[in-house]
Formats: sequence, structure tokens, C-alpha cells
Amino acid sequence: MVNRVEMENRIIPYKMLYEAVASTQGLVDGILPAHGIPSLKLGLGHIKSVMEDFIVKAGEGLPIIGHHFSFPTEYLYCFECVPVCIEATSYFLAALLPNGSEPYYDLITNWGHPFHTCSSQKGTMGMTLDDLFKFEAIITPTAPCDNTYASYPFFKYHKNIPLITPDLPFLKAEKSYRYHAEEIKLGLEKLGKVIGQEPNYNKLKQVLEVENQVTNLQMEIFELKKATPCPVENMFNVMAAAAQIYLAGREEKLEFYRQMLEIAKFRYKKKEHHAGEEKIRSIWPYMIVFFDLAMGEWLDRHLGMSILFDIFNYNFADPINTKSDLETLFYGMAKKAMEAPMTKQSAEFYYPFIETCVQLAKDFSADCFIFTSHLGCKQFGSVPQLLREALRDEVGIPMLLIDLDVGDARFASEKIIREKIKLFAQTLL
Amino acid sequence: MSLENDPFLNISYSIINPYIEDWQKSNRKVVGYYCTYIPEELLHAAELIPFRIRATGTKDTDLADIYMVRFTCSFVRATLDLALRGNYDFLDGFLVCNSCDHSRRMFELFNLKVFNRENFNKKVPQFYLALPHVITDEGFEWYKKEVEELKEELEKAYQIKEITNEMLLESINIYNENRKLLRNIHKLRVQEKPKLTGSEFLQINMANSSIPKDIANQELNRIISALKSRKAIDVSNKKRILLVGSIVDDIDFTQLIENSGAFIASDFLCFGTRNFNDDVQLVNYDDPLENITKRLYYRLSCPRMMDDHLRRLDFLKEEINRAKVDGVLLQRINNCDLHGCDNMLFTHELKELDIPVLNIDREFYQSDTTRLQTRIEAFIEMI
Repeated sequence: MVNRVEMENRIIPYKMLYEAVASTQGLVDGILPAHGIPSLKLGLGHIKSVMEDFIVKAGEGLPIIGHHFSFPTEYLYCFECVPVCIEATSYFLAALLPNGSEPYYDLITNWGHPFHTCSSQKGTMGMTLDDLFKFEAIITPTAPCDNTYASYPFFKYHKNIPLITPDLPFLKAEKSYRYHAEEIKLGLEKLGKVIGQEPNYNKLKQVLEVENQVTNLQMEIFELKKATPCPVENMFNVMAAAAQIYLAGREEKLEFYRQMLEIAKFRYKKKEHHAGEEKIRSIWPYMIVFFDLAMGEWLDRHLGMSILFDIFNYNFADPINTKSDLETLFYGMAKKAMEAPMTKQSAEFYYPFIETCVQLAKDFSADCFIFTSHLGCKQFGSVPQLLREALRDEVGIPMLLIDLDVGDARFASEKIIREKIKLFAQTLL
Repeated sequence: MSLENDPFLNISYSIINPYIEDWQKSNRKVVGYYCTYIPEELLHAAELIPFRIRATGTKDTDLADIYMVRFTCSFVRATLDLALRGNYDFLDGFLVCNSCDHSRRMFELFNLKVFNRENFNKKVPQFYLALPHVITDEGFEWYKKEVEELKEELEKAYQIKEITNEMLLESINIYNENRKLLRNIHKLRVQEKPKLTGSEFLQINMANSSIPKDIANQELNRIISALKSRKAIDVSNKKRILLVGSIVDDIDFTQLIENSGAFIASDFLCFGTRNFNDDVQLVNYDDPLENITKRLYYRLSCPRMMDDHLRRLDFLKEEINRAKVDGVLLQRINNCDLHGCDNMLFTHELKELDIPVLNIDREFYQSDTTRLQTRIEAFIEMI
């Protein structure tokens, strides 16, 4: 007989997340007007229902599988399991809880984790150290950064959690996709053995087909963002990043994108901006600030600054061919994983990243770039000046560089960051 | 016999040296590299000097700071700084592998900002090796192909008709001999009455990576003879330390430790044991390149290999016993996530051995000497 409470207590942070999402949604519904920040309202609604489902499934005793965001969540749906994205959990809690994930960052830092490693892993490591998560297994590709190879061994060597590590090569070539495809296949087989399940590839195909449909909707939304004013509010970026993980492969994600596309089309036809007037069109080539959920809305309303893209929102991966054999399927999965936001840019030379940024600036009529240089991301530590020079020389637009930790307000606070952006915006107007 | 002004050890104080200048006078080439995961034997067989990039003596990184944010490794920043000032203009090639996030990005920065700067007209071929982050059979096959492709790229770039098996076998012998000599010198340090200090040993390793290996072997033989006849160093009042972690390429740091009442009896550093512990095993004479790749891939790893921590821990335990170590000094250069996290695990795991452990962070250049000295002295006193 399964003890439901005991089973549910393997994912206490998900219960915390559920409560945080539910109470935020309650506030949003109670305070905002009917059409206010639709991406927030819709996104929270869908995420709440999915979190509820995860908790029920954990209560039924399904295995809790941790994974890195570079191993797409939907790939785990070839198993009956509850997926937990190590990085997204830290940052979603950072966004929704009053003190963010700070207590958990501190727990693991006190245990010896270096202060300069990525807070996205610190949070969940702290929660695991405190036994709030009880993973059956964790799967992570060997990408995209030093933090990944450095931090994940903690789960294996200190917490004795089976760690499966499909290798992801730092090279973009045909041979790399084939190699990673084999690694994903072997990784899933290994994971299946650990949790005592056979991978169900038919189920996986169905899930990937949902993702393919989402990709098409994403491309339509991207296309609409070329319009001035941008018909999508900044909050969409945050919710899309959350949806990427929590709603992966599910009908709720499809529904979220359908709803957002309809809203974007409506605004596009009416040339309507979510917050009145669009004065500055910005691209954030790296991450947005996760601990300050309200920043996007503040930019929209107070500065008239649109965030056209951040790194988790310029994903131009091809749909996966689900109609052919398994080899083709894994090839498509490998290619999609290697083209996924941040993984792509981290696992190749800077040149394509800079070219993409320049092209996005031109195609989407950007007025400026804002580069959030995140403490954890050493793999991006040498690109800001190169990008700044390329944008200046090829597009004639400036770039603001902000040193921060996107998940920890104690490094650079919300006030400092907003002030920097405000001063930068003044130079543009 | 004093090693104080030994010409071989003095090579460690500078970047360029007379051996490199002589080599290049006869139109022969030098290829710079960052990490010991590159196949040095292959470069040697192509009649290239593999030159390990260092930043010895650098005290600030003003120029490099323009291109690298402050969260990056100060060692790598210092090497870029030197390169931007022209100190690496002598390189005829540049080989980078994805050892860590800081050094792998030097491929782009050297390409765009060092080799492409005004008034620098030399064409410097660049090469990149993608090394897996886990040790598996599939990973080995991947890496083997990478090394084979590198061989072809070298042949093309330097117009070499063919790097033959005979050339590779000869290089393997020279490199195996080199590693054996370094191990012999290491034995003279590990013993109860050591013949050389940790700082001298570091200098030997740095010099060894900066000159042609056949000359290095002659020099190492000479050093061994000299050390054997040298009076043992009195370390009876010092604590024997195992030094572990990030790259150390400046004796300022090791001298700071050894002047604080310690003797660095052994190490787990890439300018140290990690580099000479394993030899190329010639199991297949028909494919020496495979043998070279096997050594590189399966050898005692550094923390960039994410599934090999236990083997590293075992090595530490063995070395603690072998060198009769009194304490372990774990150190990392700030922002080095790889060594930072490996050291975090070591700190907890070594508690089982009941051996004192100090885990410190530092900058590459000695900007915080007093703080470090205080902590190290306190640690030594505690032992």
C-alpha cells in the first residue's frame, strides 16, 4: 500500500511551488483587470493544473526524475514519471517566493559549494541536501557549462542518486547530432533500468508531436513580434520559459500558445501595445532576471521598453520527425536538444551567436541590447564585448551590460538593475 | 648543488626562451595549447613544439578585462592579456580543447583579437579538439576520430606529407621517457628526506612544457644526477602538504606556502602529477595514434571529467599515504567551478581519513598574499 503523504513528500518543493503559483494566481485574478497581463494569467493557470497533476502522480508513487534543462523535459515522457527540472525549480521558486530560493542557496554554499557557481543548480542542490527532494535518478547531458559537470556529481557522490550523463559534444557537425542521438538513446535505456521501466517510444512520439505543434505556434508568434509595436507583452518571456519546462509535451502548453497567438494577432491587427506606447525595442540576448518577476511589466509600463527576445525565447529548432524509424526520431531529438536555447549557444563557437543577434536586431528592428552577465555562466563570460562591437559596427545600436546573478537578488538587487536600465533608456530616448 | 640559478629552471620565469628562439630560427614551428588533454606526441611527430600557455609573472589583466567579464578565471584572463600585448606572437599555431569554459573561449578571442590585431600579419592556424566530458567506450571512439581529424588538419596546415606511424612511435618513446624522468624526480621529492622543494618541482614541470622534449629529457637527466648528489633538504620542522586544485604556474604561490612552514611533498596539479602519472601503452603498434588517444582519454582525470571523481579521490588517498602527508591544501582560482566543486566533495570525503584539510580560493596573481599567508600559516599551526 502506497503511503500517499510519504510519496508526495519526495517533492516538497513542488508543493511549495504549487502553493506559490496558486496564491500568485489568486492575487493576479483578484487585482488585475480582466484583460491585464494575459500571459501571466493564462500561464499560471496552466502551470497550476500541471503542478497539481505532478503532486498527484508523486503521491501514487511514480518515480521522481531530476533532469537538466538541456535534456528536454518531454523526452522523459517515454516513462511514467514526475520530471523535475533542477534549474527551473530553483528559479521558479526564486520568482515566486518572498525570499526566493536564497535559503537553499545558503544551505549548499555553507556546505562548501563555491559562491561563483550557478544559482540555478544551487537552489535544488540545497533542497536535496535538506532531503526536500528524493530523486530516483537524475539525467543530464554533459552540457552546457562547467557548472553542470561540476555541480551534478554532488547528487551522485554525496546523495548516492544514480546520475546518467548522455554526452553532448562541443561541436556543431553532422557527426555530433548522430553521436548525441546515440547518447540520448543509451541514456534513456539506462534510466529505464534504474527505475524499472521500459521506454515507451510510441508515447514519446505523441508527446513530441505536441511539441512540434507548439514549435509552429512559436514561429507564428515570433513573426508577429516583428511588428511595431510588439503585440506580445514582456511577461510572456517569463511564462514561456516556465512553460518550456513545466508544460513540456502537454496539451496545456499547446493551449497556452494558441491563446497567446490569438491575443498577439488581435493586438497586431489593432496595432495595439499591451501597456500603451512602445518607445524602445530591446533584445536580451541572454537571460531575463528571474528573481524579479515584475521587471518585464515595469519595463512595459514605465519605460515603454519591449523585450522582443531573451535567450529562452529565440528557439528556432526544427520539428522532430516522428513518422519514421527510431534512428530518425533520436536524430531529431538530438538536433533539437543541441539547438535548444542556451545549449546551442554554449556548445558552439561564439560566431553563430553573434550572427544570430545581429540578424535578430535587423529583422526585429531592435533599438538596443541588454546583456545580463550571469555570475554562473562562465561560458558566456568572453562574449559581451565581441557582441557589443558587432552590434555597434553592423547595426549601429548600443548594448548595456549588467553583472548580476539572475536568481539571487543579493548580488545585484532589483533596484540597482532597474536603475541601470532606466539610465540606459534615457540615453536612447 | 644549488638549483637557484639553474638555466633549465630559469625557463619557468619567462614565456619565450632561447630554445624556442633557436627552434624557430630554422623555420620550425611552435603550437600553443592550454590543456594537457591535447595529444602532444602527435604535435611532436609533426615536428612542432607543443608550448603550454602560461601567464607566469603577470600582475594585472587590464587589456583582457575588456573582453572577459570579471566572473572569469584570472589565469586565463592573464594569458589573454599577455597575448594582447604581443607576448605570444611567436606562436605558429594554436590548439584549444574544451577543457573548461574559460580556456575554450580563447579560440574565438585569439582568432578575433590576438591574431587579427593591427600590424600583426602572421597567419596562425587554429585547431579545436572536442573532448567528451565522460569516460565511456562511445566517448573514446568520438575522441579518437577527433584526434585523427586533427592529424589531417596538422598535415594540411603545415604541409606535411604524412605523419607516419614511425614518427608517432618515436614521439611516444620520447614522451614516455619524459614522463618517466618526471616521475623519478617526483620520487626524490616524495621521499622522507626530499632532494628538492615543491617550488623547484613546479619550475621543472613548467620548463619541461616550454622546450623541445628531446632537449628536456637531457635536462631532466642532468637535474636527476645533480639532485642525487645534492644534500637532502631539511624538512623536519615543516609540515608535509599535498597541494591540489587549479593550475599553478607561478612559484610566488608555492613559495608562499613553503615559506609558511610547509613543504609541498606532492600535488594533484596539471603542472604536476596529473601530467606524468600515466604513459602511452603500446598495445597496438599498427595504430600508435590510438594508443596516444587512449592515454589521454583514460588517464588520471581532472574535474572536467564529470563521472571520474572517485578515481581522483583514490589518487589523493594513495598520494597522502605515499608522501606521508600531514595535511591537504585544496585551492582554486576564483570562478573555477570545476575545481571548486571537486574540492567541495574532497573536503567532506577526506574527513574520513582524519587528515587536516584547508580549502581556499585565490586569484591567479598574488593580489591577496597577506590573507592567504594568514590562512595557510594558521592551517600549518593547527596541524
